[in-house]
Amino acid sequence: MDRRKFIKKSALVTGGVIGMPYILPSGLLNAQTTPPMTEHVVFVLFAGGVRQQESVLQRYLAGSQNEDIEGNIMYNLLDGQPPEDKIAYGRDDTQNNIIGAHPIDSILQNSLESQGTLFPEVRFARGGAGHFNGLSTGVSGNYYVTQGLRNRPESPTIFEYLRRHAGFKATDCWFVGVGIGGSRPLLNFSDHPDYGRRYGGNFLAPLTTFGEPGQKHFMDFKNYHPESDWETIREIRTFLNNNFAADGLEIPHLYNSVDEENKIREFIRYMFEKVKQDQVILPPVNDNRDLKTIGYAVEVLKYFKPKLLVVDLTDIDVCHSDFTAYLKNLHRADHGVGFLWREIQRIPEMQDNTIMLVMPEHGRDMDPNPIQDLNDWYAYDHSAGNENTRRIFSLMVGAGIDTGLRIGSSENPVGDASDITPTIADIFGIKNQVKSAGLLDPNARSLFDRI
Amino acid sequence: MNTLISDNFKVILLLVASLFLFSCTEKEYVYEIAPQDILPVNSEKDKDKTKIQYISILYTNLFRQAMSPNDMLDALKAIESVGDKQIAFDILVSKYMNTGEVVVPSNEEMRTNPEKFVRDLYKRFFVRQPTAAELTWMKNYIQSRPDALPEHFYFAFATSNEHFHY
Repeated sequence: MDRRKFIKKSALVTGGVIGMPYILPSGLLNAQTTPPMTEHVVFVLFAGGVRQQESVLQRYLAGSQNEDIEGNIMYNLLDGQPPEDKIAYGRDDTQNNIIGAHPIDSILQNSLESQGTLFPEVRFARGGAGHFNGLSTGVSGNYYVTQGLRNRPESPTIFEYLRRHAGFKATDCWFVGVGIGGSRPLLNFSDHPDYGRRYGGNFLAPLTTFGEPGQKHFMDFKNYHPESDWETIREIRTFLNNNFAADGLEIPHLYNSVDEENKIREFIRYMFEKVKQDQVILPPVNDNRDLKTIGYAVEVLKYFKPKLLVVDLTDIDVCHSDFTAYLKNLHRADHGVGFLWREIQRIPEMQDNTIMLVMPEHGRDMDPNPIQDLNDWYAYDHSAGNENTRRIFSLMVGAGIDTGLRIGSSENPVGDASDITPTIADIFGIKNQVKSAGLLDPNARSLFDRI
Repeated sequence: MNTLISDNFKVILLLVASLFLFSCTEKEYVYEIAPQDILPVNSEKDKDKTKIQYISILYTNLFRQAMSPNDMLDALKAIESVGDKQIAFDILVSKYMNTGEVVVPSNEEMRTNPEKFVRDLYKRFFVRQPTAAELTWMKNYIQSRPDALPEHFYFAFATSNEHFHY
């Protein structure tokens, strides 16, 4: 074979190898992916139902209580000066008995808006503005206009797309939930027959796992030796399970590998030790469930360095009955997100290698309900059919994201609540596979395609 | 003469024919057996226990006493808080094993009479007798693994797929 022929053949073979689909560790044939934009994504479901008026519009009491006081109480996320009067969103002044009198110091020197790209006017386009629909849309890129609570999403979640099409391990994907109420423990995988539990992400509700229920039933669990005790237990169990080999009749596990199972168990043991020693990483102010959950989410990030972590918040939802508490929790959610971003930058493997996305799951009503709080401020629900509930925002920041960019406005909304799933798929190079599955909302697009 | 022979021949022929016609009067029976699928002994267990059922039965099987409603609710919450239920159940059983109150036969009892140990295990956790193959495997395992403890068997049975179904 002459040199020219050799080079030609070599090039063809090499080209063929590069172009050929390959078998993923999960055993699935993978269509070609594009290189990921970054190694890690953290998605904050800034949840509970946030009004545009108190968030991106920065109207403080002007947009809700007929008081002419505007200002930004989310200064880790957004640019803008805080309110100067009727401060009720900070820490309580216990000496003088003034609720929320002391605003929490900003954690970030520069707002996330200035470090990233903000879509200030995004639409929650379909279905009622309920928490299940909102959270499910966030993680699956599809709306659920008829589905009730306590159901899994019908369309695959981003965890399933990533595990199936990008070959991610189960411990690469985490949903850290603020609790186990509603459908939260059901958001880590869908009921879709082509995806489902085999491709699910790991779920943890740390305030329960490491709170009273877990302390009673998990803490100080026996430390079996991984290579003697566990090996014996697994051998016997494998024999028993092989003798019970009916399709799908198994304990609903998530196909964590043996090593991953061991690692999760050790993480739980490690966290209980931290709980006992009061050493769990927490934001400087951590007086609500959202902030504690964010602290645990940071612990998951540090321990597993997952490719995708979704964390959801909920305390803002107190707005149904207490507007002052809503403002306080909105301010704290901002504090938590600022803390989360700062801590991500302190994890060497994730520093400068992570994109964070923030999006409320839906908005809240334009008009109040009749409930008044201690300040005589009116509360707000999130009712079906109220157009104000369809107004939300999206923010992305991190490696490769344009800085200081605003896309869209009140007059020109850009973006949809279903965009986050294709955006994450885009970041990890599987956008085309996810689109090809045909299970996203028709309006769902990667935010990168909307810039 | 010819007529006589011919008549005799006819008589003989008639006799022979009647032998064929009437001698085999016994009916021929054809037994039809419907095809049968041979299923494993545990095949009727095709429904998931609810988590609360599983926890309740698990607790009773391990401690030989009922769990209080409050404890059950807390255990359920703890289980719900971890996505991978195999891991959650493993941790729950590990925790219970660490209490020192689980009723498990001694290693000596297991090794003195492995068949009884195995039969009791299947009865307690699976509510059935082991098959001959299962019994043989278990007995061999006990005999060939001096480090295997009754607790390992209890753990494996408690967290097996069959125990989660009914």
